[in-house]
Amino acid sequence: MIHLDELLSAFLDGEATPPEVVRIESHLTDCHRCRIRLTEINAARTALRSLPLIELPPRLLADAGVPVVSPKRRPMVWVGAAAAAIAASVITVATVNTPPPEPLNLADVSRQFGARTALDVGAAPLKMVLPSAEAIE
Amino acid sequence: MNDQEPTLEVAPLTWEEVARIHGRKIYNFAYRLCGNPDDAADLVQEVLMRVRRGLASYQPGSFDGWLWRITRNAFIDEVRRRQRRPTSPLPEAIDRWESPSSPGADEQYAASRLGEDIQAALLELPFEFREAVVMCDVIGLSYAEIAQVVSVPVGTVRSRIHRGRRILRDTLAQEEAG
Repeated sequence: MIHLDELLSAFLDGEATPPEVVRIESHLTDCHRCRIRLTEINAARTALRSLPLIELPPRLLADAGVPVVSPKRRPMVWVGAAAAAIAASVITVATVNTPPPEPLNLADVSRQFGARTALDVGAAPLKMVLPSAEAIE
Repeated sequence: MNDQEPTLEVAPLTWEEVARIHGRKIYNFAYRLCGNPDDAADLVQEVLMRVRRGLASYQPGSFDGWLWRITRNAFIDEVRRRQRRPTSPLPEAIDRWESPSSPGADEQYAASRLGEDIQAALLELPFEFREAVVMCDVIGLSYAEIAQVVSVPVGTVRSRIHRGRRILRDTLAQEEAG
């Protein structure tokens, strides 16, 4: 069996081409080794993405000659308050005049969105059922 | 305006705006690559100076590509200049994790320890792999953007990111086991 190791990161990042996604999904269904690899690569990816964005040291920009900008005063707060009041009244009217929603039909939802989800590269990893970390160890 | 017309990304008007908008990411890029807050701060200063000089001749196009190419070149120049100067990771520079009495301090401490482990593992990666995963996972550039910044084919970026993550995962697993 030819494994697809090199494609797994691209697959997780939504950077694999649609034919590659099809190939990877099909392969992962049959290959336990690559499913484990995918989990491992995903763990490293998640670890890297969990690193916090560090604040710039104080005064670094000032020392570089960037003028300090004082926060602007919020102009005309009452405009926002009036807009919120109008929005609230519109929502109230809409709520009163809108009939209760029909119960959600999952079959309809599936028909509407199923095809797009299958083509959505970014959504592909979510469809995979991966072994848990405990199972691997 | 014609909706079909391609829009060109234009550079911010001034280098000060570049500093305010992108300074933090430039700092994080350098810090994750070298693990040293002082060197990272020096790099931000150097990049801003190059941006200041370069904006006058900037041609509308991919501003991010332009900025990250400047940042990467400045970093590589700085590394070459300081090749004999030792660097060491100083993750404790993350000030907000240094208050043990605050609520949730245990969780924050655990997270900071994990962050230190990841940073240390990152520093063990060969430079090409390290810069690829930092650009992808820390800065958030696409493979195509990284390829443009580093001047290598997208396939090479793909391979470097994958191998970088693979080595990093193995290093972290070894640390956990040992």
